[in-house]
Amino acid sequence: MIKEFTEKIKSREIDVVQHTRKVLNEIKTLNKEYNYFNTISEELALEQAEKLRSNPKGRLAGVPISVKDCIVVKGVESTAGSRILKGYNPVFNATAVARCIDEGAIIIGKTSQDEFGFGGFSTNVGLDYKVPLNPFDKERATGGSSGGSGGISQKASFPHVSLGESTGGSIVNPASFCGVFGLCPTYGRVSRYGLMDYANSLDKIGPMSKSIEDAALVLEIISGSTSRESTSLNKPVENYSSFAGKGVKGMKIGVIKDAFAEGLDDAVRKKVWDGIKKLESEGAKYEEVSLPLTIKYGLSVYYIIATSEASTNLAKYCGMRYGKHEKLEGSFNEYFTKVRSKHFGKEAKRRIILGTFARMAGFRDAYYIKAMKVRTRIINEYKSLFKKYDLLVSPTVAILPPRFDEINKLSLLQNYMVDTLTVGPNLAGLPHLNVPVGFEKKGGKQLPVGMMLIGDHLQEAKLIQAGSVFGR
Amino acid sequence: MKGVKVDRNLILRVADNAKLSLTDKEIDEFLPQLKEVLEFFSSIDEVDTKGIEPSTQPVEIRNVLREDVVKPSLSQDDALANTEHKKDGYFKGPRAV
Amino acid sequence: MTPFKSDIIIGLEIHVELNTNTKLFCPCSTENTEDPNTHTCPVCLGHPGAKPVLNKDAVEFAIRLCLALGCTINRQLVFSRKNYFYPDMAKNYQITQYELPIGTGGKLRISDEKEIGLVRVHLEEDPASLVHPGSMAASPFVLVDYNRSGRPLLEVVTKPEMFSPAEARDFMRKLITVLNYIGIFDQDICIIKADANISIKESGYVRSEVKNITGFKEIERALRYEVERQKKEIADGKKLVQDTRAWDSEKGITSRLRTKETEEDYGYILDPDLVVTDINDEWVEEVKKEMPELAQDKVLKFIQKYHIDRTDAEVIAQERPLAEMFEKVAQKIDPVLAARWLRRELVRVMNYNNKTFDDIGIDHTHMIELLEMVERKEITENVAKKIIEKLMEGKFSPREYVKSLGLRVMSDASELDGICKSAIKDNPKAVEEYKAGNEKSLHFLIGQVMKKTKGQAAPAEVHKLLKKLIK
Repeated sequence: MIKEFTEKIKSREIDVVQHTRKVLNEIKTLNKEYNYFNTISEELALEQAEKLRSNPKGRLAGVPISVKDCIVVKGVESTAGSRILKGYNPVFNATAVARCIDEGAIIIGKTSQDEFGFGGFSTNVGLDYKVPLNPFDKERATGGSSGGSGGISQKASFPHVSLGESTGGSIVNPASFCGVFGLCPTYGRVSRYGLMDYANSLDKIGPMSKSIEDAALVLEIISGSTSRESTSLNKPVENYSSFAGKGVKGMKIGVIKDAFAEGLDDAVRKKVWDGIKKLESEGAKYEEVSLPLTIKYGLSVYYIIATSEASTNLAKYCGMRYGKHEKLEGSFNEYFTKVRSKHFGKEAKRRIILGTFARMAGFRDAYYIKAMKVRTRIINEYKSLFKKYDLLVSPTVAILPPRFDEINKLSLLQNYMVDTLTVGPNLAGLPHLNVPVGFEKKGGKQLPVGMMLIGDHLQEAKLIQAGSVFGR
Repeated sequence: MKGVKVDRNLILRVADNAKLSLTDKEIDEFLPQLKEVLEFFSSIDEVDTKGIEPSTQPVEIRNVLREDVVKPSLSQDDALANTEHKKDGYFKGPRAV
Repeated sequence: MTPFKSDIIIGLEIHVELNTNTKLFCPCSTENTEDPNTHTCPVCLGHPGAKPVLNKDAVEFAIRLCLALGCTINRQLVFSRKNYFYPDMAKNYQITQYELPIGTGGKLRISDEKEIGLVRVHLEEDPASLVHPGSMAASPFVLVDYNRSGRPLLEVVTKPEMFSPAEARDFMRKLITVLNYIGIFDQDICIIKADANISIKESGYVRSEVKNITGFKEIERALRYEVERQKKEIADGKKLVQDTRAWDSEKGITSRLRTKETEEDYGYILDPDLVVTDINDEWVEEVKKEMPELAQDKVLKFIQKYHIDRTDAEVIAQERPLAEMFEKVAQKIDPVLAARWLRRELVRVMNYNNKTFDDIGIDHTHMIELLEMVERKEITENVAKKIIEKLMEGKFSPREYVKSLGLRVMSDASELDGICKSAIKDNPKAVEEYKAGNEKSLHFLIGQVMKKTKGQAAPAEVHKLLKKLIK
């Protein structure tokens, strides 16, 4: 879609300013109903469109790109969905954003999310923020934490890619619940410079879109190392978009049988197996495999490590230098405590407490250090499978998009458990893709089901090949 | 580490370390939640990790260094742009004692 | 556990600001400036989304110090987050080295008789600087300048082996010399601070930590005060508890910040924004090669090549300008003589006049000129010493000076003979007293001759001559 669109922009068949205006109006209307955007960057978008009109160039010329709120855009309020950052106006662009802009992209807004990424339904939005609604059923969740990105990617009537972010599954989960492709690349494939940290060893930026080819093109553009951070991979970037349509002939696929155990929604089971069968019909071979360690302990390992890192990352939010301020009175302990207690949402507080606990003297060895060691074993478990298989497959999430009233009844632990199938590849830094594989009728609505493909490190190309079997 | 006493005192101690003050309502809500979750997490105890090194990142990246060359800094205005607590080019902050 | 060898036990944790161009984790300049917040960026301001990247030179400087102090160098460099909240913290955690410091062990010689052992050396970032309008206690807010935030520091932790405030001062002084010598620190623009742990016998060796003392003079002041304070508390019948104290240089007192019971839990994690740096043998060798020759290597060379004694060698080797001067002078002058005059005369006079090599501006040519005359006995040692003293005030050619003032040793025996005879004639009383057995009177006569010859006579010669003449 983007390829044809950019040609028309460059040939001026489509007027980029007019198109951008149309897009902005569409998303403003949508937003009133669905809450996909925390900020719509109208001024910036029109400025970019005007500039592009006089000199249309770039692989993303005129393409509207939305950006998850935790990824900084210079001059546009960026808050990671939290009230504690309300008013923060970044003085720099995230590398991923800068690279899109350099290719002529139009940044249309910051999408809604769970506060700092703390959630699997986008219901843990920060104080004063609105919960995004599922594009297929407004009583249901978009998934999280990149809920706004998932929703707008589905609803947009124009060529569009959203930059989402994943720590424990936050790209593929909302992609699944919103029926779009969500590609989470290898850890370090895309620079984290400008990504507000949830968990530094787990965070990744990745594209979400109705078109896998478009997502692949954006991935190509945003990938590659930068000198501004220490954890980006210094490895060559492939022409990812050229892999769309290359098929799966000869590929060996491992079906993660532990993911198909009890508790899996029947509709999900059926549709995902349909997807596996489709890959088989296209020339792939599958076998059942098992990841016993990952399935049993992955969730705990993820939450311990993620909250440990997050609790240190969130310490900087204290009413100094940027974000929400309070009246400057009292000692620093009093002031910091006041700002943080007043402006963090509940889930943020819970995760800060969990993470602080896991690192404290006396508990550190049993929780933080132990979890880091188990993580090594989980990575090894995946690596030994990838010696034999090109891809692994499982459902993305064990359920259909849930209703809000159902979510409210969940205990905290049950909330966390929605991540069970996605924490594995995230812990191991493996690239993974949500593929929309069909719909299930429920409550009079068509609800999307997602199948997750996992590749070995830096094997994004294989994911794109396989994903494109289900549409470009 | 089964048998960690997750009680009010522990929660308050941890919260204080993190500069969070919780209302009674919050503590009442959080206590059973955190208890359940920590109990669940402690299952990693049973995993054999003898001789296993902890992983800081999931992929191997080493030796990323920067040459000692000065690059332009933000202007004073830009540095102070995001705060209202400022004076004479300084940031204003809460008392140090 | 060190057995308590002394009534006073002191250990130091010293923070050295490194003389790199940029900060430890971002490319902002480390240059000192009056304008606050003009050398900052999203990284050192702790903006969300900014990320650290390690400064290569800071690592090299750390390697240099480890080599100079004889530390074991850890071959893997890793960083941790030390988590605590304070108004000078950009991120409310400090990136430091907790688990694996870059250097362990090592030692520094502070005198002919004593070496101080070290525990560790590690890299960490500096917090911002705070200004307390009014006073620290009374001001309603602080002013924060992030220019300092993120600057690279090396922390040196000593074993508790200093037994007096003077030894602590000597340690700091020596350390500063080494730091300057290896080119990682510039005392004109970089800051060096210390936290001191001190305990005294009278309290049963209960430790107090005094934080943030700047410079070696302050160290002695602060610790002297603290020893007295602790002694007084005990004398007043009080029991001491482990505590942390601040040193107020203006008031000259320490005051309690907190007791050890309320110690923070730093909740360390390895910093996941940074990756492991391998310090392999090749790198260490490269650093060694680029470094000015290490003091300990110089000592060995001086002993083996020039046959000077160990103490002279160690003193000369420790100060780069002195060592360089010595090596040049020893090419022309007998090394043992050169070592004696440089170490015992030149250094002595410089210390007495509180001068450094930069202050006096003399170089090896001046010393060679001077010592050639000494070697050839063209001038007396007294005259040579006087010339050295005069060189403190400004440089000149010793040879010219001797010529212009006619200070050459009286080599004319008959002239000296004549002066001695007149001294004897002019001081009959002294002559009588000497004949009666009073040695002191001979010295008086020698003094008279020396006066007449303006010190140019060789005292030994005069002594001999007078004795002969009087007999």
